Amino acid sequence: MPRLNSEDRWVGGVAAAIAHELGVQAIIIRVCFLLLATVGGWGLVLYAIGWAIFALATPDSLSSNYVPQPKAATPGHRNAAIGMITLGLILFLLRSTPAFFDDVVFPLGFVLTGMLIAWTRSGEGGMSAVVRVVAGLVFAMGGFLAFAALQVNFVDAIVSLVFGMAVVSGIVLVAAPSVVRMGRDLDHERLERIRSDERARISAHIHDSVLQTLTLIQQHGEDPARTRQLARRQERELRNWLYGTPTSTPTGLRLGPALEFAASSVEDSFDVSIAVVAVGDTNDLEPADLDALIAASKEAMANAAKHSGSNRIDVYAERRGQSIEVFVRDTGVGFDPASISQDRHGVADSIVARMQRVGGKALIHSAPGSGTEVELVMPLKQETKP
Amino acid sequence: MTRIVLVDDHALVRAGVRGALENSFDVVGEAGDVADAVDLIVRERPDVVVCDVHLPDGTAADVISGAIARGVTTVFLALSVSDAAEDVISVIRAGARGYITKAADGTDLTDAVRRVADGDAVFSPRLAGFVLDAFSTDLKAPAADPEMDQLTAREQEVMRLLARGYAYKEIARRLTISIKTVESHASAVLRKLQLSNRNELTRWAADRRIL
Repeated sequence: MPRLNSEDRWVGGVAAAIAHELGVQAIIIRVCFLLLATVGGWGLVLYAIGWAIFALATPDSLSSNYVPQPKAATPGHRNAAIGMITLGLILFLLRSTPAFFDDVVFPLGFVLTGMLIAWTRSGEGGMSAVVRVVAGLVFAMGGFLAFAALQVNFVDAIVSLVFGMAVVSGIVLVAAPSVVRMGRDLDHERLERIRSDERARISAHIHDSVLQTLTLIQQHGEDPARTRQLARRQERELRNWLYGTPTSTPTGLRLGPALEFAASSVEDSFDVSIAVVAVGDTNDLEPADLDALIAASKEAMANAAKHSGSNRIDVYAERRGQSIEVFVRDTGVGFDPASISQDRHGVADSIVARMQRVGGKALIHSAPGSGTEVELVMPLKQETKP
Repeated sequence: MTRIVLVDDHALVRAGVRGALENSFDVVGEAGDVADAVDLIVRERPDVVVCDVHLPDGTAADVISGAIARGVTTVFLALSVSDAAEDVISVIRAGARGYITKAADGTDLTDAVRRVADGDAVFSPRLAGFVLDAFSTDLKAPAADPEMDQLTAREQEVMRLLARGYAYKEIARRLTISIKTVESHASAVLRKLQLSNRNELTRWAADRRIL
């Protein structure tokens, strides 16, 4: 099916479309249409019909950027064939066209062409749109005048019907582009509404979180520890919202997120920042083992936050073969592990004993002045091997 | 004096970074988006570009490839608040010599710039963790190029200590090797990260986002 080509057209692009389809020059088809138009207006009628059909067959998106691929052109004999066909049609029509066609079809052709000119689709405003509407009106009026000029005793009903049609056509052709545009505006409006809903959702969230925090930070400006804490909590919250890491519930978590969660609660209680790195994340630990490992890690982080004097703690967890290792490290003051008195519950109970109860172990590497590193090792049970 | 260009779309962040670096380096220019950054880098030819990962019209990877395409041989240090693995990996693969997060303090930042200026690699603990994760994932097919697709035992050890928060100096002491050796291990890992054609590497990074 030929497609209308908006690049190369005089009126509607029908002649160009046919020419392209047949692989001949557009001017030849145009001349044929003009010649046929002189015979009882048949050229105009055929043109209008072609326009209507091609317009339906041309997708909207293609009308503006469809680039025709010329078919293999053998114009010589095709030109001749087209000439013959046109000539034959003219001769046939000259002989057989009854007065009815001269009197009705010719004016009707004018009306239809006028409508089509006015109603072409690339009416994006500007001069060409005005010119089209004016041309359409002129054609439609011309058709109407041609009818009026007919002094034939035609059935009055038909005349008035055609008259009515001309009027209705005029209205439709003037109104149609606006109707189409209105539809487009509605679409556009709906899209805008979706966007503004989304914007409202985001600004509500920003208001509840970031703006509140900024206000709090302004109020606590003279307390740097509190300010840092607020900023950290907000950062974490925003990061979760953006990247969707579920650290808000400690149940049913994998090791990495569970450690993150523990770290965030230590950060909130003390003025430290904790960087958690987890490698080879696992979810095949027994829940009791995971709980113990997390609790011991958290205790180690809290100890580092309380005693080391460093405001930065690194937590590293890795699954290596059949065990999971967690390292909690600070670069603070350090201490001599042998010097811890037995009544200090922190390290002895919360970390070492807790790990031993579930078959793991805890080692504390530290020396005065060179920071502290707590190493936790949790063997994976054989039956939970993946 | 080492000449620095800062690229970040937030003037406030640029001011902060400039403040941290100004005493030790010569900050010769600032840019806020990819197009300006590339022009500035081509014009100024700095020694080091400190570049935010996310920019209004692209990423640090675009700045790096844009500058390289225009014949600039400068070193890049990526700086970001984003910890998403795919961002980190794509920037390193584009040619950055290091990646640190904006949470790093002034000393960390100065050290990192000095190190990349000397041609060494800079790993934040998180980047080291990503590297270990990416290279330790079980290979479905045998590595096409074991030289490039796997880390040596020593490289793994260095990465592991970096991930645990150790500084190069501390790693050297702990493994009883020289700092230079630690640096050359780190550079070797960076090269593998950039040149390895393991498909898993990019896919891994993408999967990582939804873990």
